Amino acid sequence: MVYTKEEIFLAISTVIDPEVGFNLVEMGLIYDAVSDDEGNVKVTMTLSTKACPLHQMITAWVKEAVEKMPNVKEAEVEVVWEPVWNISMADDNVKKALGA
Amino acid sequence: MSSISQDFAPPFKLIAPFFILGSFFYLISSLYVFSFNIEDLSFLNPEVLGFVHLFLLGFVMMIIFGAMAQLVPVVLEVGHFGVELFYAIWPLLLIGSVLMVFGFLFSPALLPYGGVIVLVSMMIFVMEIFMTIFKVEKLNLVMTSVLISNTFLFFGIIFGLLIALAYAGTINLDITSLLRGHVYLVVAGYIIVTIMGLSVVLVPMFTLSHGFSMRPLEIAIGLMTTGVVFVVISSMFNIIILEYLGYFLSAISLGFYFYLIYIIYDTRPRKENDVYAISLMFSYIAMLVSIVLGVLYFIMGSEELLLACGWVLFYGFFAFLITGHIYKIVPFLVWFERFSPLVGKQKVPMLADMVPYKSSQAQFIFSALGVVVVTIAILTKSDMLIGAGASFLVVGAVAFIRSLFYMINFE
Repeated sequence: MVYTKEEIFLAISTVIDPEVGFNLVEMGLIYDAVSDDEGNVKVTMTLSTKACPLHQMITAWVKEAVEKMPNVKEAEVEVVWEPVWNISMADDNVKKALGA
Repeated sequence: MSSISQDFAPPFKLIAPFFILGSFFYLISSLYVFSFNIEDLSFLNPEVLGFVHLFLLGFVMMIIFGAMAQLVPVVLEVGHFGVELFYAIWPLLLIGSVLMVFGFLFSPALLPYGGVIVLVSMMIFVMEIFMTIFKVEKLNLVMTSVLISNTFLFFGIIFGLLIALAYAGTINLDITSLLRGHVYLVVAGYIIVTIMGLSVVLVPMFTLSHGFSMRPLEIAIGLMTTGVVFVVISSMFNIIILEYLGYFLSAISLGFYFYLIYIIYDTRPRKENDVYAISLMFSYIAMLVSIVLGVLYFIMGSEELLLACGWVLFYGFFAFLITGHIYKIVPFLVWFERFSPLVGKQKVPMLADMVPYKSSQAQFIFSALGVVVVTIAILTKSDMLIGAGASFLVVGAVAFIRSLFYMINFE
């Protein structure tokens, strides 16, 4: 079964950044997600800063959230730094709540 | 995938003693202010020297060292060389600081002993940082600032030990000239350069600022480094022009640094004014006030201005920058240890939920009032205002300790 990007994003939206209190999808930190019919998923994401002390933990949470989806055998999470994240990538509700 | 540190969060039990002891030293320093006799306040007065060492070693250094145990991997992007060494640093720093303060107040003979213990503690710290830096393949600006600041600390404590030996009468050296080098190496060279480097990582991280140029920081660190070297050389060879040039470069450096912080602040997407944000605002305003007081001292020559400059720099700039960051660092460490394993299994608190609103606000308000009132007391030579300011500071420090324990014990 092949999942759409939106379905994978929905699964990842359960992962909350404890510092800002928003989920990673609405923060705009998840750039892409693709799956194949063998149950492999690849998520491409970034973090709001390279110095994020929760780096490894957040990627593990994303992997875990995706692997909870039925028929997903394995999820790979790649963290990229290009394009660099900025607040314009976040949803409007995040921007509004932060006062941006 | 980029490789990032493997050890971003050392165990909290390793860092907690630094923060707990540091907070109590903050309280003791605040109580100490009651003992200030405005007529006797002078930079070479043993009571003032005792206070400065109590505050800088017990509070500022203790908390900076603890914070570095967590922040070094964040900033250097490699794991510690030997994070367990931090278990040895705080007891030595504690004993050394206490001996030094007692030495200044009651018995100069204690100073070399306290000085040596502080020296050992700091040498362990500096060597651990150096060995960690050696693991970094390519140094960026912030990493370079850590290298520079720790090199200054290394020489600063050697100067300090020489002064302690001379103060106790063990060796014969000109304390006054060496003191300038010691103060400048530790305060400007270590504390300020460390603050400059770390804050441009931490402040944007918490405010979500992006896209600013690091050029002002590059200039600021270059100028401050040159300024420190000039003052140190002048303290050894008594070259007055070099000393003043050093002070001038340092003031310009702080101007560039403030400009960068202003840009980060002005472009921040996260506008909430929590205790972290207001503490930092107070801190940086204090830094500016301190520069102005310093400049006025050079124009007018009145020692009150220099004392007020030092006071605002220590209790306004350093203290508020530290207490503000404690409200971010401690919740993170506690959350990481206590709640991160529960993510996905049960509802976990957000980091902001772990900061006690009332006591953190009380800490900010009372401490800020205390800083302002004591500054006015120093400038107007008012003993009554010293007492009033000290009262505010003590209440603020108690609220700080209360906030710290609330965050540590959050369940």
